[in-house]
Amino acid sequence: QVSVINTVDTSHEDMIHDAQMDYYGTRLATCSSDRSVKIFDVRNGGQILIADLRGHEGPVWQVAWAHPMYGNILASCSYDRKVIIWKEENGTWEKTYEYTGHDSSVNSVCWAPHDYGLILACGSSDGAISLLSYTGDGQWEVKKISNAHTIGCNAVTWAPAVVPGSLIEQPSGQKPNYIKRFASGGCDNLVKIWKEEEGQWKEEQKLEAHSDWVRDVAWAPSIGLPTSTIASCSQDGRVFIWTCDDASGNSWSPKLLHKFNDVVWHVSWSITANILAVSGGDNKVTLWKESVDGLWACISDVNKGQGGVSAVTEGQQNEQ
Amino acid sequence: APLTDSVPPQVVPGADPSARQLCFAWGPAEVLVCETLFGRAGGSRFRCLTRCPCPSRFWGEDRAGAAARALTGSVAGTGDGAPSSSHVFVVRRDQDIYIQTLRKLFNESHGIFMGLQRSEEDLAGKSRKAQLVQVSKNYRSVIRACMEDMHQAAVSTRDPTLQSQYSTQVSILSAMELIWNLCEILFVEAATAGPLLLRLLDWVRLHVCDVDSMVREVLNSESPSKHKLFWNVVDVFVLQGRMDEARHLLSKEASANPTSMNMYRILDDLMKKMPVPSLGNTQTLTELELKWQHWHEECQRYLQDGTFASNPHMESICKILLGDEDAILEKKELMTTWYHFLVTRLLYSHPTVKPMELRFYAQSSMDLFLGGESSPEPLDMILMAAFEFEMHQVIKECSIVLSNWWFVAHLTDLLDHCKLLQSHNLYFGSNMREFLLLEYASGLFSHHSLWQLGVDYFDHCPEYGRVYLELHIERIPLSTEQKALKVLRICEQRQMHEQVRSICKIMAMKALRNNRLGSALSWSIRAKDAAFATLISDRFLKDYCERGSFSDLDLIDNLGPSMLLSDRLTFLGKYREFHRLYGEKRFPEAARLLLTLMTAHIAPCSFWMTLLTDALPLLEQKEVIFSAEQTYELMRCLEDLTAGNPDKQKFQDDDVETTKVEMLRLALARNLARVIVKEGTVEGY
Repeated sequence: QVSVINTVDTSHEDMIHDAQMDYYGTRLATCSSDRSVKIFDVRNGGQILIADLRGHEGPVWQVAWAHPMYGNILASCSYDRKVIIWKEENGTWEKTYEYTGHDSSVNSVCWAPHDYGLILACGSSDGAISLLSYTGDGQWEVKKISNAHTIGCNAVTWAPAVVPGSLIEQPSGQKPNYIKRFASGGCDNLVKIWKEEEGQWKEEQKLEAHSDWVRDVAWAPSIGLPTSTIASCSQDGRVFIWTCDDASGNSWSPKLLHKFNDVVWHVSWSITANILAVSGGDNKVTLWKESVDGLWACISDVNKGQGGVSAVTEGQQNEQ
Repeated sequence: APLTDSVPPQVVPGADPSARQLCFAWGPAEVLVCETLFGRAGGSRFRCLTRCPCPSRFWGEDRAGAAARALTGSVAGTGDGAPSSSHVFVVRRDQDIYIQTLRKLFNESHGIFMGLQRSEEDLAGKSRKAQLVQVSKNYRSVIRACMEDMHQAAVSTRDPTLQSQYSTQVSILSAMELIWNLCEILFVEAATAGPLLLRLLDWVRLHVCDVDSMVREVLNSESPSKHKLFWNVVDVFVLQGRMDEARHLLSKEASANPTSMNMYRILDDLMKKMPVPSLGNTQTLTELELKWQHWHEECQRYLQDGTFASNPHMESICKILLGDEDAILEKKELMTTWYHFLVTRLLYSHPTVKPMELRFYAQSSMDLFLGGESSPEPLDMILMAAFEFEMHQVIKECSIVLSNWWFVAHLTDLLDHCKLLQSHNLYFGSNMREFLLLEYASGLFSHHSLWQLGVDYFDHCPEYGRVYLELHIERIPLSTEQKALKVLRICEQRQMHEQVRSICKIMAMKALRNNRLGSALSWSIRAKDAAFATLISDRFLKDYCERGSFSDLDLIDNLGPSMLLSDRLTFLGKYREFHRLYGEKRFPEAARLLLTLMTAHIAPCSFWMTLLTDALPLLEQKEVIFSAEQTYELMRCLEDLTAGNPDKQKFQDDDVETTKVEMLRLALARNLARVIVKEGTVEGY
């Protein structure tokens, strides 16, 4: 049973590139080629426009909500090379920080796990990745990884926060020793994993399997297992699931989820990481889940336009 | 039929399916699907859809994933160039949890579930089984109660859409109860040959109600035997093995038609004598079989002798008694289902059927009954799987066909407690029971109050329950302080420290944004968030400087040991204490505290000026309060302050500041003078 519980008219004047629900599903942020970022209150089937944020000078590609413990904060990135961080103060949304350190379009923004503080990773077509960290009092510190990917970086995604070693509660006031990692995908056909060591970001791993630009990467949420999982999708039509079994993050092995007939643009994980949504290739959104025998099975195949019940494919074979 | 595969409705009107791609983003309970063109080449129409696909099915088909299906574009296109109607459709799956009349189902079954988890596993054999059967019956009675409510709702509403919805729900619930009941008989109770048939007969009688109104009509008529449907009703009773009732009706016919008295007596006798399995241990199966054989032969003789030849109705009944398939099949409309046919067949041809033999009879019964005219529906396949004792198949089929996880989650849990599912462990370490419970409970979390039930279910999932709870509980909107406290209590009870901290921080931030400093402070103390506590203390102090008074005095006065969370907080607490002491006129203590605040560097440098200014009234009291040493200390503090001030220029330029400093120097000097004299004087004599 499917039912529409709400219809929100965003009134964007041009193509919408991203839409994200906030942490609780109470607000919706959308961004568009019309250069605006809009925020709606969608509680109880309503749709109230809370903010129409102007500040970008080009199409806005992505929006990302920060964790609510930092307040109501939204980041947006655009073709205009800027990253803007918006914040709600006293009931109104305002620009709280603007970062202009990139030389071309910023394609992707992603907030780090809240445990690390308020940190935003930004990937740009100039090949660099910037990390903006809030240090207090309206100040942001910037760390830049230049030439992270030759030609350009298309996507960034953070690893879930896991305290290495024991999970005993730390005495209050003492910050646990997190090992911060994130992954990026770029026009060099690579997925790279970055690790912070002594305050510097270093390339930890290079994951090679794609034969064309990597369009999106998504690090799966942690459900307590020692394995890490990353999904990557590419212009080459392939989606790979990368897994690393050991905690030190050394050996990543790819498994081909599927080869699509067209570019795959977007991959994302559900909250409990049990479903991967893949969108793009041949105008479909497909949902995938790992089945008993370790193979990835397509559980839903969206066939646009035909209106009928589409075929359900169980356990599609790997094309290794 | 209630459980048919329905085509997903067209959800998004007007979306243009051509040359569009779909973007996808997960929300906590919904999913966002946007039509877009990823080339980023520039404008084209765009529709942003929000939808929530449900957690996937383990076996491969996802009902809710149909959501995405429906979403996308199965709609008439408007084509390129149509005016941009940038609509966002928020679609939700698993609407069931929002149906008010099903609330009882979720709440009460939760109670039964919890009872089952806590029940004693070490009860042996028969008593354990009886316990489990009782649990099963409890679940079924909840389903029936819901059915009743739903039926009432259907009957009392005037809205045709609602009515049809309610009616559909009633049939779905009825199908669920049908399936569950069969599973109870075959799996939970594991009825053996003999009792098995009796149970199946009960089952059929309970669930084939299509004939009830006809039965009532005939029985209530003045002269039943003259009613045109009289023989139909007799047949119904015979088919359902309700011999006494059949005989009773027949007797009316006999008294009305004395000519058939002889025939009647014989038939009546046969029906009376029919051997049936009994529930007690009064006879063994072998004994029963023997008796039955004899009886069967007797019936056969009467039939062959043409005893009933002149009355086709009675003859047909005799054939039924003999288990004649054709005769029974003729009464198809009175049985309405193949499983009724199955049970009737078994009653009259093989009453001592063993559980494992059911599958053969079931398959042939379905084939014979449907006779190639119609094909089996999902419900039929589920029941067939049950008769074949393919438990996993039953669960799988139910998962696919039913719209939410409630049924399979609870049934599987029960079967697991019956130790029937042990052998099936899944790749990722969890087992089927846990998998289904996780999915069910996850679904509950999107509901504003049912989520609390979900917590308990997660508690009883040993592998992933905790982490799923951690991930879900963080997403519950903390719309009121009460709700936040409720969520907190749950986290604290389970030592979910990260979540506790996170929630407290979120509440602190919220309070701060709404200028409720006291609330913000107590939340940050609870979160053990030193940084935030410092921030808020600064705000308090700032407010004090601006207004000259503190807010939330109670809170600050009763900080106790939590004062130590941050230096600034400690200062705040101590500073307030200073004011209290001053208010109580305990000047020497106040003075000492004031001085300590500076000399022990508890006070931030930025606040020293304020503190020194606070010292002024103490310096100008009639009585000397600060000792000489203390006065020297104060002077030193003042000098440190003015000398070490990086903004010296500004400091000197500010008239107010300069005046203050001068006043202080004067007051300190005067105090020093007085105190030297005082200390140099011998007290009294």
